[in-house]
Amino acid sequence: MSDNALIGKFKEGYDSLFEQNWPLWVGGVLIAFLAVLAAAVGRPWGVAGGLRVWGDWLWYAIGLAPQPGSHLFLSDPAILTWGLLAGAFGSALLAHQVAWTMAPRWELGKGLVGGILLGIGSAMAGGCNVGGFYSAIAAGSASGFAMMLGLIAGAVTGLKYLLWEIEHVKVTSPAAKEKTDGVDWAKIQPWLGALFFLGLILLAYGLSFQAYTQSGLLLLIAAGIGLVIQRCRFCFVRAFRDPFMTGESVATKAVAVSTLLCLVGIMILKWSGALPEESYVYHHWIGGLVGGYIFGFGMLLTGGCGSGSIWRAGEGQVKLIIAVLAFALSNSLFRAHVWKPAVANSWGAPFYLPDLAGYFWALVISFVVLIAWWALTAWNEETDKLTMY
Amino acid sequence: MADYKADQVLDARGLSCPMPILKTKKIMKDMKSGQILEIQGTDPGTKNDLPAYSSRSGDEYLGMEQRDGYISFYIKKK
Repeated sequence: MSDNALIGKFKEGYDSLFEQNWPLWVGGVLIAFLAVLAAAVGRPWGVAGGLRVWGDWLWYAIGLAPQPGSHLFLSDPAILTWGLLAGAFGSALLAHQVAWTMAPRWELGKGLVGGILLGIGSAMAGGCNVGGFYSAIAAGSASGFAMMLGLIAGAVTGLKYLLWEIEHVKVTSPAAKEKTDGVDWAKIQPWLGALFFLGLILLAYGLSFQAYTQSGLLLLIAAGIGLVIQRCRFCFVRAFRDPFMTGESVATKAVAVSTLLCLVGIMILKWSGALPEESYVYHHWIGGLVGGYIFGFGMLLTGGCGSGSIWRAGEGQVKLIIAVLAFALSNSLFRAHVWKPAVANSWGAPFYLPDLAGYFWALVISFVVLIAWWALTAWNEETDKLTMY
Repeated sequence: MADYKADQVLDARGLSCPMPILKTKKIMKDMKSGQILEIQGTDPGTKNDLPAYSSRSGDEYLGMEQRDGYISFYIKKK
């Protein structure tokens, strides 16, 4: 084989990995694998917790809050969210997809309002669609199913709003931005992406010498999730919205399968004693249901959930960058002043599903609910009975 | 790829998921069979969403063209 052919083959492989999107179900399987790894390292996957730490520090930076107790970089929730953002950014670089994308003012406003709702909803539910739904169900917390119901109902309301909006609100696009001259960013983006990931690996390696091996591992796992999620454009919003919007079920199926796989992994970790049974079982159903509804509405406005807003922000989408900041600030504020842990606990108690009738029946119940969700959306894809538009 | 002659143009630049798809669906409803809609967009997700949308709606996805700072997508009404 000549050198040219070899380079050609390499380019082909690179294109299929980093130019085209991976199928959603591949993302679902890989995310489940990485989420179980994160739990095994000691911290189940979450996004809102890290955003709250950012929010706490932002409020502290402008003098409106006392110094936060959690480290801005090295606390477990924070490092998971930093890793997710970094992985998505690096992945977008590899795919030439980092671009500063301005949105019309109306859309930026939706990013702001939606972001605030995401913050409030996730504070009430004890996590976003990841910590309050995905990881909660996987950890055996019954509240995860309450949030699932809230998310579905909130997504339906949000979609109704969007349908009203396109009939009644005229949004003009910002002027097409003039081409920037000078450096050809598109060409060097993949190289920057490779350097960026190399830097992350070295950073994790460096952390392992500072007695922060666990943080280093969490950083890499979260960056892996960011990479996968950006490559698949894996979107929890679509899972809740698409059956009602276009009738498609592909995203719902991917999320249902991913949740199932993660559930099996984490149940095994808990059953074997590798992870404490109470790990990630702190939410209760009222918070999950109400918070899920608020969150579900908010994610339709922003077009991104906890993880989805982060990876789109990593691509440079201004609307989602605003949403992430609003999310972090409102979650921090709401949790510090309104939905304090004491208030949350007065509304209900957490419930660990295996306490009902053991691990076997907890798995059966969870399987039945998730498979029913899958089947309902698959049936709707054929019949369009639930599709509103 | 050849340029298609569009009967209508939807300017969805700067809009992110799901607005381009919702607006496309709204405009397509009022178009006549055989007419072509050009959708100008900047959201990378639209590359997947529009072919998926048209394969469900039965409309024909003709292709896309990289422009200066955005992408033009072409769909033909069934």
